Amino acid sequence: MNPEACTGCAEYSELSRRGFLQAAAGAGAAAAVLPAWLPRVALAESHRSSMRDVLVCVFLRGAADGLTMCVPHGDSGYYAARPTIAVARPDQTTISSRCIDLDGFFGLPPAMAPLLPAYTDEKLLIVHACGIINSDTRSHFDAQRFIESGTGGEIPTASGWLGRHLAVTGPSRPGSLLRGVGISMGLQRSLYGGPSTIAVPDLANFGLAGAQSTVAARQEVLRTMHDQVADPLRSTSDITLATIDLLRQINFSTYQPAGGATYQNVAFATALKSTAALIKADIGVEAVAIDYTGWDTHANHGTAAGGWLYNLLYTLSYNLAAFYRDMTAATAPNFVVLVMSEFGRRVAQNGSGGTDHGHGGAMLALGNAIRGGRVVRDWPGLHTDQLFEGLDLQVTIDYRDILAEIVQFRLGNYELGTVFPGYDATFRGVTI
Amino acid sequence: MSRRKFWRALAGLSAATELGARRTVLASPPTGTGDPDPSALLPKLLNRITFGLNQTDLAAAAQRGYSGYIDYQLDYQNIADTSMPSRLRFLTTLAMAPVDLYAMSSGQVLTELIDATIIRAIFSQRQLYERMVEFWTDHFNIDIQNGQARYLKTVDDRDVIRPNALGFFPQLLAASVASPAMMYYLDNALSTAGAINENYARELMELHTLGVDGGYSQRDVNEVARCLTGWGAYPYVVGDPLSGTLRFRPEMHDNGSKLVLGHVIPEGGGQNDAAMVVQILANHPSTAMFIARKLCKRFLSYTPPDGVVKSVAAVYTATGGDIKAMVRKVLAPEHLADAPLKFKRPLHACVSALRSLSAECLAGGPIRQQLQLAGHVPMSWGPPDGYPDSIDFWSGLILPRWNYGALMVAGSLAGVTVNPGTLFAGLTTADQIVSRLNSLMFGGGMPESDAAALRAYLAPDPTSLQLQKDTIGLAVASPGFQWY
Repeated sequence: MNPEACTGCAEYSELSRRGFLQAAAGAGAAAAVLPAWLPRVALAESHRSSMRDVLVCVFLRGAADGLTMCVPHGDSGYYAARPTIAVARPDQTTISSRCIDLDGFFGLPPAMAPLLPAYTDEKLLIVHACGIINSDTRSHFDAQRFIESGTGGEIPTASGWLGRHLAVTGPSRPGSLLRGVGISMGLQRSLYGGPSTIAVPDLANFGLAGAQSTVAARQEVLRTMHDQVADPLRSTSDITLATIDLLRQINFSTYQPAGGATYQNVAFATALKSTAALIKADIGVEAVAIDYTGWDTHANHGTAAGGWLYNLLYTLSYNLAAFYRDMTAATAPNFVVLVMSEFGRRVAQNGSGGTDHGHGGAMLALGNAIRGGRVVRDWPGLHTDQLFEGLDLQVTIDYRDILAEIVQFRLGNYELGTVFPGYDATFRGVTI
Repeated sequence: MSRRKFWRALAGLSAATELGARRTVLASPPTGTGDPDPSALLPKLLNRITFGLNQTDLAAAAQRGYSGYIDYQLDYQNIADTSMPSRLRFLTTLAMAPVDLYAMSSGQVLTELIDATIIRAIFSQRQLYERMVEFWTDHFNIDIQNGQARYLKTVDDRDVIRPNALGFFPQLLAASVASPAMMYYLDNALSTAGAINENYARELMELHTLGVDGGYSQRDVNEVARCLTGWGAYPYVVGDPLSGTLRFRPEMHDNGSKLVLGHVIPEGGGQNDAAMVVQILANHPSTAMFIARKLCKRFLSYTPPDGVVKSVAAVYTATGGDIKAMVRKVLAPEHLADAPLKFKRPLHACVSALRSLSAECLAGGPIRQQLQLAGHVPMSWGPPDGYPDSIDFWSGLILPRWNYGALMVAGSLAGVTVNPGTLFAGLTTADQIVSRLNSLMFGGGMPESDAAALRAYLAPDPTSLQLQKDTIGLAVASPGFQWY
């Protein structure tokens, strides 16, 4: 029985060959299989295993409204296009739910106030009018694929930008068995092709079921059977078995966030909290992808004081702020959190108090080594004659400009031509 | 490999996958010079058109022959399916009118439909029909956890998807355009003249008919949205039988003229605009190709050959979208003979284990919970594109697949019984037991590497009930069982 080669199989094997050669050259003999007893997990005594930041990629699926995430209160076109859903200017002091000024032109909506300290600390950066520079798609599924593949849709590829980044760099901790984690039911496309990469829906519950008296023996049979098949099942099995062993040693349920940080009790928050525990456990995880769904706000955005979009943005911000506090209040590995979405939403509100699919959007970068406290932009304007196809915010900064700079300077990977093929990135000074 | 060569290789990706497919074909026994011998393809056919092999179906297929069995399955209304009414008897909301559904708890309504879907997948004799219901449920995806769909997906499933799953695509499309659950899910219920919401119009073309590269523009999205303004559903009013049924509000409809994909829709069309949109989309050559490719992907290969797709699209065009005729074309023995294996999605993997092991399963709930851990609860995919049919997505998480087999045999799933005593009656050696599992679960095609590992596990004490149970669980978890 010969299973069909996975989509992009040739590409995967090329990637893993390159990854292997690189690892062999860089890490020498240390890249041997790690014995089960070796991972030493110590939550309290954290130490940096490498000079690379751990990357946490949050994808807001459904197209988040960038014009509410970072309100262009200095652009009168914004208020003209959104008579009932705009967030009021900071100087409209008679309105209690108005935006918080950032730089005289942009502001944070009240729902995102929890992120103000990180912005003031200059660790939170906002990028606006951002997206895929040469794309005109308004399809969620195309746009997500284009962004996560790292090609802007211009080069057919089955792998993802994060997967390729992991593949062309050796593990940051020699011998690491788990380098990429997608907190998801299925692997996110950005991680496709990544070595030692796996989907884990719930980091706190990842073990083998059934009779515990035979669990070790059954685990060995699973290993034997999967050792004899092709990828992707073979590699998924290897990583699954290693991950079971690794995660068993981290007690997620008793994890105490540092600095008094509290997370909410929702899936997105649990994912961030477990990610903090995972990063602090310092087992060599380099990239974590987290999905946050529900951003396709075609109707009833709500207002600056409450409603659908408010709730999404509040949950996003509150828990990102908790993560920031948790990760910076005590010594922990350096991190970068990237928050992105497939595109922004239509400038004008639609007939149902919502917004349809748009073009340019906003992106966040949060981390110890992010040169934040700024809104990076080349603002194209919101008046009709300034809009993309007369409808949407233009894209003036490609998302790859931001990602590439982080990949090069914070992840120490200069192979940008492989991570973002066919794209010549313009660095925007987003890292210190 | 230089970087340039590497990326050039990427550009030829689909070609590489086709090569992979051909390799698989070569690995199967040669079938002589002429056409493939269809009877040798029966286990493969059953793997493709059912939720998993079982002995009853294999015997029936052997009796009817390859095309006879396809015809039998396509003529689903004449398959008695005698056990279904009693298996579904307690799921009382399935037959309810919208107004009565609204009076129930939404949790009960949606849970019953999900559980019914699971029970039908396991036990219905109309397996190909249920696979097609699954196909269209993905195609016209409505997230059952979403707002009004919690109540109304039951109606969509019963009155839109199931009656048309093996009917004609234009009728299915028209029924979906008139589905209150869809009206709510993609916001058309909110779209009115001068205040349009283009969510549904876009997905109708991108996901339901033309495909993203099918040749429509932002202007077309806008025009189709205008055509569909005013359509929605009656809100729930206690005791009002109109609740949750289709509603057209003429005063909310944009009655100006429109231009859709080059077709002028004259002003004053009212309700007829929607019918014209359905007709334009159903007759569009991109729709024929899009539906044909998706069917080929589901039954044949992630990357079906263009020639096969075109031949199926030609059937669509020649028959006015006859789904049975398209399925028959897709399943032609020469197409199936060349088809590489596909990776089972979690529902398929879990149900195929239950079917092949002749498991009893009294209720859908315990299986639903396992599918939740695997990310594949029926009708619960949020975005409108439906659950992925892709190995890259599903192969990233295999732990739930390892676990549900073990839980089934351990008796940990309430109402689910797998009985080693019956399955292995009279068998005493590891060889015999693994051979039995091979014929039950794989139709004799269990990979030898899996079989050897199972035999070695069982060998120390082949009659130990615990080892026998573990072996069943491991066979369900085995890499070979994840493919169909």
